[in-house]
Amino acid sequence: MAGNKPSRKPASSSGSTRRPPRRRPQPHQRSFSGWINQHKHAIRFSLKRLWFNPVSTWITLAAIAIALSLPASLSLLLTNMQTLTDDKREVPTITAFMKENISEQQTKDRAELLQELSEIANVQVVTRDQALADFKNITGFAETLETLDENPLPHVLILTPNLERLGDDKVLQAFADRLKSYPEIDSVQIDVEWIQRLRAILRIADHVVLVVAVLLGLTVLLVIGNTIRLDIENRKEEITVTRLIGATNSYIRRPFIYGGLWLGLFGGTFSLIIVNIALLFLVSPVQQLASLYGSNFTLSGVNPLMSLQILAVSALLGIIGAWLAVGRFLWRDEVVD
Amino acid sequence: MIEFRGISKRYAAGQLALYNVNLKIQAGEMIFITGNSGAGKSTLLKLIALLERPSKGELLVGGTPLNKLSRHQVPAYRRRIGFIFQDPHLLYDRTVFENVAIPLLISGMGLVEIRRRVNAALDKVGLMHKAGSYPLMLSAGERQRVGIARAVVNRPTIILADEPTGNLDPALAQDIMYTFAQFNELGTTVLIASHDHMLVERMKKRIIVLQKVEE
Ligand SMILES: Nc1ncnc2c1ncn2[C@@H]1O[C@H](COP(=O)(O)OP(=O)(O)O)[C@@H](O)[C@H]1O
Ligand SMILES: [Mg+2]
Repeated sequence: MAGNKPSRKPASSSGSTRRPPRRRPQPHQRSFSGWINQHKHAIRFSLKRLWFNPVSTWITLAAIAIALSLPASLSLLLTNMQTLTDDKREVPTITAFMKENISEQQTKDRAELLQELSEIANVQVVTRDQALADFKNITGFAETLETLDENPLPHVLILTPNLERLGDDKVLQAFADRLKSYPEIDSVQIDVEWIQRLRAILRIADHVVLVVAVLLGLTVLLVIGNTIRLDIENRKEEITVTRLIGATNSYIRRPFIYGGLWLGLFGGTFSLIIVNIALLFLVSPVQQLASLYGSNFTLSGVNPLMSLQILAVSALLGIIGAWLAVGRFLWRDEVVD
Repeated sequence: MIEFRGISKRYAAGQLALYNVNLKIQAGEMIFITGNSGAGKSTLLKLIALLERPSKGELLVGGTPLNKLSRHQVPAYRRRIGFIFQDPHLLYDRTVFENVAIPLLISGMGLVEIRRRVNAALDKVGLMHKAGSYPLMLSAGERQRVGIARAVVNRPTIILADEPTGNLDPALAQDIMYTFAQFNELGTTVLIASHDHMLVERMKKRIIVLQKVEE
């Protein structure tokens, strides 16, 4: 085996003067301004990169926006229903429906008697004619109702309980049962009843929304992670080359992490736009409906805090998704040419 | 500056590329590595740039044994070296300017300084007018020069060039060699692998001749 020991030829001319290497300015790598510059470059480059393939970027953004707007609008719906039930908590009312054969006069008599009770703060009589008129207003089925020969509605008493005596749900229920035992009264309905039921449903719905939010958040994570992963695949060559000329792992990671951040942030912004547009369509019909019920309930929209929360969550999902996609480059060995 | 102590390199595939190389290169020296194809010229340069690791022996650069560098320190070490690859490894979706700017971006330089330095480097290799072109629009020789501009733009302490003139016509090859000599005048240590004996002889520098290892 012959070694390939280098044969040395003396430098044949005195042209090569040997001087110590000049002190060069240290690369900016370690300085703070260098770090800021690197981030600036990464931000600029990753934003530019988004529009490199606009179609796929738009599709990704749409997927993220839709996935985020679903839990956002669901939780908005819940918030609104919760304010609706909060409203009613203060003034529960008891509605007593008279039997069909009870006359208007008999109803008014019963009302007067009830007014005497200390449990009752106020009694309001709604005659079957009034009820029919209201009903026509509310439903807009005026013509349909016109065709009925007879008014099918009973007289109704609307009782406002004295909360000092009937504050407790159980006591209220007992009082309602007592009302039911009067001969004129057919049935009694406490409107806190449906509110209680609604509250129970809302509590469950809260959990459902949470589960939906987690699942769709995971979807967003996967969508962003996959987009970034594809981007990395497309830029393998670039990663190899920049490594060869001294890029650190964090330098290589940075534009991808920013890419994920942008996808999350812009996707979140679009989801807010979607939710707000949907609200715009709902506001006036809801207000109309509410006013028919004499309620001044207004649909509450996405408040600034909630908007910020959505953006923060979507941005975070973007960063995590990109981080997961880029993670394996952290552990990879140095690239060898 | 660079010292090979009993360096051997056997590739994973089994080829013995270098056997027991002992070599000292002074700081600020310009030196040519010649030898036939397969003699191990590229391997020798790659060992210095830490693109390959020796199988045996010790390699010191600037007094530091390279095997003592942690993985964490390798990128910073590489940034002190300008490597001109046989195949220039350009990014084809970036302009010439952007390609040359990459080492400066990695170093975290500001845009104004980057523009100044990239233009200076492109000027050196005579490609100022091609700054906005994409590599695919260039000839092989021009691409090679873009690779050279990228290697020198960060003012490395060591320039390693692997057949840098392989794709150039003789006049241009001579020009490029003088450009390297200029960098060397400024204090940069320059190692050039080349099998063009005529050109190498003309430069009147120390020449290392490698012979293929016979097993
Ligand atoms: N990555 C590699 N894997 C395996 N063998 C290699 C590799 N690179 C080079 N070699 C072998 O090592 C020897 C020296 O190659 P190289 O350093 O490229 O020589 P030169 O640049 O002088 O032509 C050759 O026999 C070549 O086949
Ligand atoms: Mg070679």
